[in-house]
Amino acid sequence: MAEQYVKVVEPDDNVATFIRQVDEGETVDISINGEARTITINDDIPFGHKVALTDIDEGGTVYKYGLSIGYASEDIEAGDWVHVHNVDSNYGRGDKAAEGTA
Amino acid sequence: MTEFLGYERDDGSIGIRNFVPIIATAPYANDTVKRAAEIVDDAIPITHPLGRCQTKPDVFQTYRTLLGYATHPNTYGAVVVAHAGEIVDGDELADDIAETGRPSASVNIHDEKGVMNGLKATVNATREMVQDASAQQRQPHDISNLTFGINCATSDTTSGLCQHKATAGAAWRLIDEGGRAVFAETPEFFGGEEGLAERAVNDEVAEKILDYVDHWEQRLQETGYDVRGAQPTPDNMDGGLTTIEEKALGALVKSGDGPIQDLVDYAEKIPDESGMYIMDTPGHGAESVTGIGAGGAHFMIISTGQGHTLSNAIMPTIKITGNPGSAERVPEETDVDVSEALVGDQTIDWATDELWDEIMEVVNGKQTLSEVFGESQFAIHRIGPST
Repeated sequence: MAEQYVKVVEPDDNVATFIRQVDEGETVDISINGEARTITINDDIPFGHKVALTDIDEGGTVYKYGLSIGYASEDIEAGDWVHVHNVDSNYGRGDKAAEGTA
Repeated sequence: MTEFLGYERDDGSIGIRNFVPIIATAPYANDTVKRAAEIVDDAIPITHPLGRCQTKPDVFQTYRTLLGYATHPNTYGAVVVAHAGEIVDGDELADDIAETGRPSASVNIHDEKGVMNGLKATVNATREMVQDASAQQRQPHDISNLTFGINCATSDTTSGLCQHKATAGAAWRLIDEGGRAVFAETPEFFGGEEGLAERAVNDEVAEKILDYVDHWEQRLQETGYDVRGAQPTPDNMDGGLTTIEEKALGALVKSGDGPIQDLVDYAEKIPDESGMYIMDTPGHGAESVTGIGAGGAHFMIISTGQGHTLSNAIMPTIKITGNPGSAERVPEETDVDVSEALVGDQTIDWATDELWDEIMEVVNGKQTLSEVFGESQFAIHRIGPST
């Protein structure tokens, strides 16, 4: 049975949102498309923040709402806190445009 | 058919309030406007740093915004205050206001031989208008006359999961009743623009949506900086939003998933035809809400995660949150708390009903928290440099 504090928007998302503080070492039951999964949490994750449901390699797309919300700036493991420290945006990168890399 | 009690205007629009704004054409009239509004308690001061030394596109946008407020459905009449000869011309603005059948007056501080006489002329014109407005009675009208403004503020990850859904539900309920709704903040379409374009009623509108998103991406690229920190904002990131795309995909939830009639420019009047519209604005809340106000939305739903003071002087703002902490932390910034639909046993339909009931009270005259506290911001979006 999926916990109510775990919100997965679309079945093919690789992140979920927690609607409570979740601590490192906790195990969380998640149901995706009727398939039950248990994920061990690797970091303290604040209310409203995201956890990786699967491993995401560096450069891989992070999916929420079934769409890209950016790419992994380093390797991410299932159970990791997913936020600005390991995800970058594909938009508004004037810094990259200035370097000629966009 | 649902009715509300509103104020009839000669131009056919129906107001949910009966305001008299005093409008500065340039910053050099701001103090006179503020002082007059202190003396005439019920008048609304509209002050800003623009209207002078601007290039043509900015002059046009400033003028259109000020005219939008002066001829808003919630405006009974307006007093325009200019300092001297300005590129935004006070007499021209007053004439354009009068064309809608609203009372209007124009005061020029130099023509009055200084600020004290200018203040007296402003107070006298405003006093008369406020008295006349107070004598006007509300009459029953169909809610199809109403336009529903939508904006988000200090979004977090609860926004797209809960309160934005209730906001969309209420907006589409008004559209189903023959009304209009409008959302904005073009940079917050990033990553969701394809889905948005698919909702357009025709190819022309679809292309316009994609072109405007491209234009914003170009503007941001031209800065030479990473937009993160500006979008998402630090408070967005504290709330768990990681990238502008994530913020955008959540933000778009507040528009629902029905057809989009058209995209209008900043501060442009929202068309009369029933349906959902987009206004091109930045994600900066004060600027986007100011633009939507100029477009003639009667009220504004501020769908917020962490709570916000974002509000408007002419267009009452109703703040809705689904974050269970926000209603406790900032009760003055929470008109409607629907967090039970996120963390409790309630449904999104219940949350939509809660918001709808509040809207119906507000359009009939109930004051929102921002109105009670006298809070509002006015910030016209700028296109180019001062000269």
